[in-house]
Amino acid sequence: MVKVKLYVNGEKRELDVKPYERLLDTLRYRLGLMSVKEGCGRGECGTCIVLVNGKPRHSCLTLTATLDGAEITTLEGLAPKGKVHAIQVAFLESAGVQCGFCTPGFIMITKALLDHNPDPSEDEIIEWIGSVLCRCGSYHRYIEAVKIARKYLSEGKVFFDEEEVRRKYYLKIIER
Amino acid sequence: MPRFELYRPSSLDDALDFLDKHGVEAKPLAGGTELLVLIKDRRIPLPKYLVDLSRLKNELSYIRDENSYLRVGALTTIWELNQSILGRDTRYAGFQDVFHGFATMSLRFTATIGGNIVSATQYSDYITLLLVYNAKVKIRSINGERIVDLDKFLLDKRRVDLEPNELVVEIIIPKPNINCSSSFYKFDRRRQLIAGIVTGATLLCMDDDVIDDVKVSFDMVREKRIPGRLIGVEEYLRNKKFSIEEINKVSEEILPREIVRVSDWWTTAEYRLEMSKVVLRRNLIRSYERIKGGT
Repeated sequence: MVKVKLYVNGEKRELDVKPYERLLDTLRYRLGLMSVKEGCGRGECGTCIVLVNGKPRHSCLTLTATLDGAEITTLEGLAPKGKVHAIQVAFLESAGVQCGFCTPGFIMITKALLDHNPDPSEDEIIEWIGSVLCRCGSYHRYIEAVKIARKYLSEGKVFFDEEEVRRKYYLKIIER
Repeated sequence: MPRFELYRPSSLDDALDFLDKHGVEAKPLAGGTELLVLIKDRRIPLPKYLVDLSRLKNELSYIRDENSYLRVGALTTIWELNQSILGRDTRYAGFQDVFHGFATMSLRFTATIGGNIVSATQYSDYITLLLVYNAKVKIRSINGERIVDLDKFLLDKRRVDLEPNELVVEIIIPKPNINCSSSFYKFDRRRQLIAGIVTGATLLCMDDDVIDDVKVSFDMVREKRIPGRLIGVEEYLRNKKFSIEEINKVSEEILPREIVRVSDWWTTAEYRLEMSKVVLRRNLIRSYERIKGGT
């Protein structure tokens, strides 16, 4: 077993992990962060993308034991409690979600894109979100979503009230 | 994921010591975007140890601009390469071509140049491009260091001149003159996450309208299943006046003699040959335009 200290969504976690344990398994099955999903398990589909020290990372191709001291952000940690992030709102407004399986990956790569480049061109948006596969074929809506998020963030609107967003888009609260 | 032990060296010397003791049963782990897939698919014998190089990042991730060489640390990621002089200078324009076609954006933050070269796949974009720059590979072990030409380092598909106790630490790129530029094309059905059914690179140096020097490489040249240079094409073009007629002639007449194209699941040898001609023409013209346009 390997001891690692991680900062997951701002919270310090000290874990004993197996040397061959993937970050995907640590996040999803140890810490219960269900937005991190396994699609292909080989770095092609991008649905397991999280941010490691601010950079996009395929959690299926990352060994947790190599990340001692790293800061990890998943979809769950994008906004503080009671708030939703502008990128999440943008994905709702563009009706980008069909089956929803790939959406966390798209939101995380969008976060990475807008952190690196607050004003991306359409070509740049396509190049970045090409990191994630969507088998429903919602790409054109995701491109729109990134543009909406770009607009919100440029206006300084980063967080929205969760209650208001839920009421506006008729989203139920599912108890876990 | 199959089971293995993980060793996390704190310095290069520590890593080399460990490799010297356990090299045969150990594999160095850089970005892991290739190695972990190979291990998962059981396409290589399962190593007892993976040697995680992430703590060597400060030591082995750099791009140094020296007098006549660029020195690139083996753990430099593809993203970091493109943030350097390689992402802006006309003399290295081909590196931007490779960057924009390399896997997907998210993988470019993880994959490393050293890992890419040691993987030695037949369609490795960086290998194809680095060959036209006459790049060299610096290798370290506890016994010292050696520098090998990249084309000698590549023995065959997934086989490189590297002992189990050795580690690739640096890629050395001789700096081309100001009158040079390069171009890289990967031809396939889509833009991202694709090996390329034809890949090719050129480095062109112009003296007014005369070709001062030219280097051409393609995937799978002659009998080898790894990228290589097309010496006959280069010799034909050298000291010729740059013209569309000469480019057509070299791609129609000389190129087919220099290159072996194969049929496989993806496409036929005939189609590959036709597309190889197109790739050569486009690379030569684009390199030329880059030199003249200065962009």
